[in-house]
Amino acid sequence: MSAFFVHKEAVTQWIRHLARSNTVYFPQRAGQSGFRFKPVKETTEIQFDRYQPTLAPPGKKLAPAEEPLFRYRKQGDAAPELVPILDQSPRILAGVRPCDLKGIHLMDRANREGHGDPHYLTRRTHTILIAHDCLQPCDDSCFCDAVGSLGWRDNADLFLTSLEDHILIEVRTGPGETLIQGMNFPVCTDVAAVKSRAEAQRAQPFGRQFHADLARIPAIIASQWQAPVWEKQVERCFSCGSCNLVCPTCYCFDVHDDFDLTDPNAGQRTRTWDGCMLPQFAEVAGGHNFRPNPAARQRHRVKRKFEYLTERFAEGSFCTGCGRCGRQCTTDIDIFNIVNDLIDHAEANS
Amino acid sequence: MSATPHASDPAIDPALYLPRMARILEVTPLTAREKYFKVELPEPLGHRPGQFVMLSLLGVGEAPISISCGPRADNMLEMVIRDAGSLTHVLHGLKPGQQVGVRGPFGSGFNLDDFYGKQVLCVVGGLGLVPMRSLIQPILAQLDRFASLTIISGCRSPAEELYRDEVRAWERLGQETGKVRVIRLVDRTQNLPWDGQVGLVTAPLSSLPIDPAQTVVALCGPPVMYKFVLLELTARGLSHAQIFVDLERRMKCGVGKCGHCQINHVYCCQEGPVFRFDQIAHLPEALQ
Repeated sequence: MSAFFVHKEAVTQWIRHLARSNTVYFPQRAGQSGFRFKPVKETTEIQFDRYQPTLAPPGKKLAPAEEPLFRYRKQGDAAPELVPILDQSPRILAGVRPCDLKGIHLMDRANREGHGDPHYLTRRTHTILIAHDCLQPCDDSCFCDAVGSLGWRDNADLFLTSLEDHILIEVRTGPGETLIQGMNFPVCTDVAAVKSRAEAQRAQPFGRQFHADLARIPAIIASQWQAPVWEKQVERCFSCGSCNLVCPTCYCFDVHDDFDLTDPNAGQRTRTWDGCMLPQFAEVAGGHNFRPNPAARQRHRVKRKFEYLTERFAEGSFCTGCGRCGRQCTTDIDIFNIVNDLIDHAEANS
Repeated sequence: MSATPHASDPAIDPALYLPRMARILEVTPLTAREKYFKVELPEPLGHRPGQFVMLSLLGVGEAPISISCGPRADNMLEMVIRDAGSLTHVLHGLKPGQQVGVRGPFGSGFNLDDFYGKQVLCVVGGLGLVPMRSLIQPILAQLDRFASLTIISGCRSPAEELYRDEVRAWERLGQETGKVRVIRLVDRTQNLPWDGQVGLVTAPLSSLPIDPAQTVVALCGPPVMYKFVLLELTARGLSHAQIFVDLERRMKCGVGKCGHCQINHVYCCQEGPVFRFDQIAHLPEALQ
């Protein structure tokens, strides 16, 4: 599809222009707590170069922390009225980095499998993704290249690459093309040359790297069920679930009913985020807990990202390497270090 | 300009989390803690033995509940529910005529094709009899298609026995046909009248007159029971491929999304809750 090579100032004006008739989320500085994806306003600073990973990944806009599944109204002996709540409001997620683009792709896979989740998929249908390449690792925590996220492009509607004071805009889908109609951007005549010049600036190696090839990691982790690494790595875990909350591919949830305080016959069924690191996550009626201690829960989280879901969906990894879980952990537990420790332990014992 | 959405996704099922409403026809206490519920749906449930539903009360919540009846052509659904949490406690207070929400049926269930022509052995502990009845009923309804049916059913005390009259009717049917054997056990009689055996469900297995090569086992009970029953069955020469287990997990959706029911990489609500044991025997989280 088409591509344009546009001055950064014009791109900034274009994003602001889009925000006048759409809800556009863009990573913005939020006080001392780093960056957040927030709606763009006229005064919002749009800049692509000084990025720090946001606290929550942009994909959480598609699966909010709490959302209604349906509203109900009881009607005596007659069948109650049940109204599903599907969010069809359009949104644009702009400034999405390759790791988070991959995260949304993985969320799409999980939500489309078998019974398609109507709430996530409806939001997804109404969401346009404007992604932006990374030429430098964002900090010491990220390891996107090690899990194959750095080169991820597939689900971007528009993909942007910065080169000095210009930005290459590659149009990848019909909805993406709609967003640049009428802008009269200069056409890029040699996309390959611009990309190779930009990629020549990319740091090598790019961020942290594992001690083994990604393709070998699921089998390595599968062989380490009883490794002492699990206990050692979670001695200081509080089971707070912060790692789940900020993960771009954590989607587990709990469901409860809220009745309307002003009308006891009406209310809604609500789902909220849940996390496999929380102690009661795998507890059944009668009190038996299938993952009763932090090490068992941590093992489950790591295996979901690097073995279970990876194999279920034939993806290279369900961890995107964004580094958020390590950055947000209150006791500095880092999934990257856990995986490397498992690799080292497997090598030492092979 | 305004964004245009992507094409509508054919995977979207708008009613995925919406319950169908069913009317309670009968509520009967079976023990001090368990009640039998018969409810009528708007149309037949269309389930297999061993499947489950997500049962809900608007304003209270939703939980996975085993289906306790065999496949049936009418609109009825039978369940036995223990008063064990907030939802089940409110359910215990309901009366005929009131409504409950039902989603499903969900899960794999038992496939009768695995049992036809075989000596069927059902081993159940406690509430395990509730889902197992959904397999026992269709077997009894077409007994000539099976070599035999043996039911070993244990519970803690005579006061906790479920489906008391029905299990004795199965026993009488066995005496008439010679094809059904029912062994009823309690852990302790607790000084109550008891007309069965005293002991664990593992006790009768070693001397049971079965041909291991012709036997298929269905197993359902509390987590602690599986390990010891499996040891006995293995000692009798049965392979894991001849044993089907019905497992319990926490579930919030029934459709493979909420993550609660995962057994290692397996989703209990999708691939289970009934598994051929050789397919999960290697999973460390399967039984404990």
